[in-house]
Amino acid sequence: MILLRGMFLSIAACALALTCMAQALEDPAEEARAQALMRELRCVACENEPISQSSASIAEDMRARVRTMVGEGASDDEVRDWFESRYGEFVLFRPTGKGLSGLLLWGAPFGLLIVGGLIAFGVARRRQAGASEVEPVAPEDV
Amino acid sequence: MIELGHLAAFLALAASLAQGVLGLMGARALAGRAALVAFGVMSLSFLTLVVAFARSDFSLALVANNSHTLKPMLYKIAGTWGNHEGSMALWCLVTLGFGGAGALWMRTGRDVFEARTLGVQGWLATGALSYLLFASSPYLRLDPAPLQGAGLNPILQDPALAFHPPMLYLGYVGFSFVFALAAAGLMEARIDRVWAREARRWALAAFVPLTIGIALGSYWAYYELGWGGWWFWDPVENASLMPWLIGAALLHSVAVTEKRGNFAAWTALLAVLAFLFSVMGAFLVRSGVLTSVHAFAVDPKRGMVLLTGLVVYGTFALGLFALRAPKLEGGKPWQMLSREGALAVNNVVLVVAALTVLLGTLFPLMAEAAGRTISVGEPYFRLTFVPMLAALLAILPVVQVWSWGKADLSMLWKWAAGGVALVAVFLALGVGLWDIPLGAAFGLALGVWLLFGSVGELRRRAVTWGRVFRMPLRVWGMTLAHIGLGVFVIGAVVETTQRYEATLALPAGGSGTVAGWNITLKDVHAIEGPNWYADKADITARRGSAKAEMAPTKRYYPAARMPTTETAIHKTGTGDLYVALGDRRDVDGETRWVFRVYFNPLIDFVYLGVLLMGLGAFFSLLPVRRKPA
Repeated sequence: MILLRGMFLSIAACALALTCMAQALEDPAEEARAQALMRELRCVACENEPISQSSASIAEDMRARVRTMVGEGASDDEVRDWFESRYGEFVLFRPTGKGLSGLLLWGAPFGLLIVGGLIAFGVARRRQAGASEVEPVAPEDV
Repeated sequence: MIELGHLAAFLALAASLAQGVLGLMGARALAGRAALVAFGVMSLSFLTLVVAFARSDFSLALVANNSHTLKPMLYKIAGTWGNHEGSMALWCLVTLGFGGAGALWMRTGRDVFEARTLGVQGWLATGALSYLLFASSPYLRLDPAPLQGAGLNPILQDPALAFHPPMLYLGYVGFSFVFALAAAGLMEARIDRVWAREARRWALAAFVPLTIGIALGSYWAYYELGWGGWWFWDPVENASLMPWLIGAALLHSVAVTEKRGNFAAWTALLAVLAFLFSVMGAFLVRSGVLTSVHAFAVDPKRGMVLLTGLVVYGTFALGLFALRAPKLEGGKPWQMLSREGALAVNNVVLVVAALTVLLGTLFPLMAEAAGRTISVGEPYFRLTFVPMLAALLAILPVVQVWSWGKADLSMLWKWAAGGVALVAVFLALGVGLWDIPLGAAFGLALGVWLLFGSVGELRRRAVTWGRVFRMPLRVWGMTLAHIGLGVFVIGAVVETTQRYEATLALPAGGSGTVAGWNITLKDVHAIEGPNWYADKADITARRGSAKAEMAPTKRYYPAARMPTTETAIHKTGTGDLYVALGDRRDVDGETRWVFRVYFNPLIDFVYLGVLLMGLGAFFSLLPVRRKPA
């Protein structure tokens, strides 16, 4: 309950800040890049919301900062790094792939896919070795 | 009254214990009777809780803490399971319900096996009931009784949410019976075609409500939270997605066991995992280790009990599996490129996808234990989970045609040509004409590919269109579920890449434009409901000749001191115009109201697709008329 109430208070606080329609960047490509970045940065005052959606004043500031940096020609990684150094890793909805933990987080899904594939391959080969002449059977009802 | 319910719950515990002991001793008939008695008395017990809620009996602590006299009747009743203790009572009721259903409807002709299944289910029920009675009792009285209750969490006062938890629990707990079937099958080291035919029905009986429950939860989040999206990769959403993915893998694997006698060990493992993932979901949600909308009545001690249960169930089942899996018999031979091989790939991907969701959900917790705060959000799942499943779906239409044992590869080049042509068309249309991102063009091609593939396969098996409606229900079930995947993919791709959102701050009489819609605020006035009061905005939305009156509302529930958003949604046929009322602002002496406006194209396809998957599973569950011999 307490958590919930906190969450709604923060949303209410978010809605107080109004000027959400900040100046978009002139170059549509840059604006699109800025918006993509906004979708993966976490609003630090809200519950599980990216700054692209939040109307908290802090999110507004963060959006402006993204636009400024993109407008000055910063790369996506430079923007992410700046926010990370300022607010900590918490702010990145796309966690960094650096270090051992990054390797684990980003590598594990594909590693598991490879391991699972190899196991399935191994089993299939064993089955195949015993099956010189297999009669194909059409699937009836599945 | 409630004391009667309390007593009945103890009787249910005794009956479940008897069911557990008798069942493992192999007494099918007696265990079955015990299961029915347990379900009967627990129904009575649950009914006393429902009645206490319906009559707002505040001498019951649970009612006092979670209900209110001014609440509409539907939410009084739904309030029974809108809290921790009550939802655990529902969990117990459903567990016993599946035990009773199993006692009545298991048809394997193997008495000892069925008795053991009921036995294991009895022990699961004993565990759940002990937890209910000794760690989170809903039957406690308050003295003196308060005159008024604290009210149900307002955001839960919603029709979709009234039915979301029962549906989800039918799914989660339904897997407990599949778990019991797997344990009993492993005990006698016989996971064969007869076993699979039985297990498949129960897995479907769990999968259908789980699918509907997830859809309801997602739809609720869409219109109630006012954030415009339908899936937030919130830990609790993930907790329901993981058993669903394992369940989907199970349904495909159990078909192999049923038809060919293969994958026996793997199917048994999935049957066990589906329930373990369900319990883990309950643990993650209820223990409060994850912060989320659902973390009502968070209590670390209860979390420890749930975690212990999870470890005990897991150790028992996985230990049994390790002992017996090597003794299971294989089925008919198959080659790598065959229906079996393709379904093995399906299973690897679905299970790894579930593990990816698990990793993404737990990683922030693990990092926190190491002293770091990390967020894992939508971009992570978009870059790992989504491509994995997209690749799996891309091969679906091709391998769906393959035969058991050995695939006929002579048509492969036609499939390749068809796929390339489809992608080319959508790349040309998408990037050239519609100006959508490259990924969206691929996604649309994938959705259409799935639709063609599913319908084409139905037609291929029926040989002529005329015979399509005489195909077995199971074929229709499969077809509908796969069509549902296609519809879902199209909806998800269009909605996520083409959604349009904006914030407007309007004075009365003011207007703004979003996605071609002219939004005019007529006025905002205060209204009152049974247990809330609200600001209601009257809006006229116009686009060309189309016109819609909309009334987004912001409610305030005094009993809970909490606001909720009642979004206004206008279905245009191609999407939803979605307006949520925010706060009131005074700028330079002028009153303005903040609105968040979204245009969500094809969002209905997302829900339609999921419902088709559920409907397909339901068709597959329906009994088949025996062919005359």
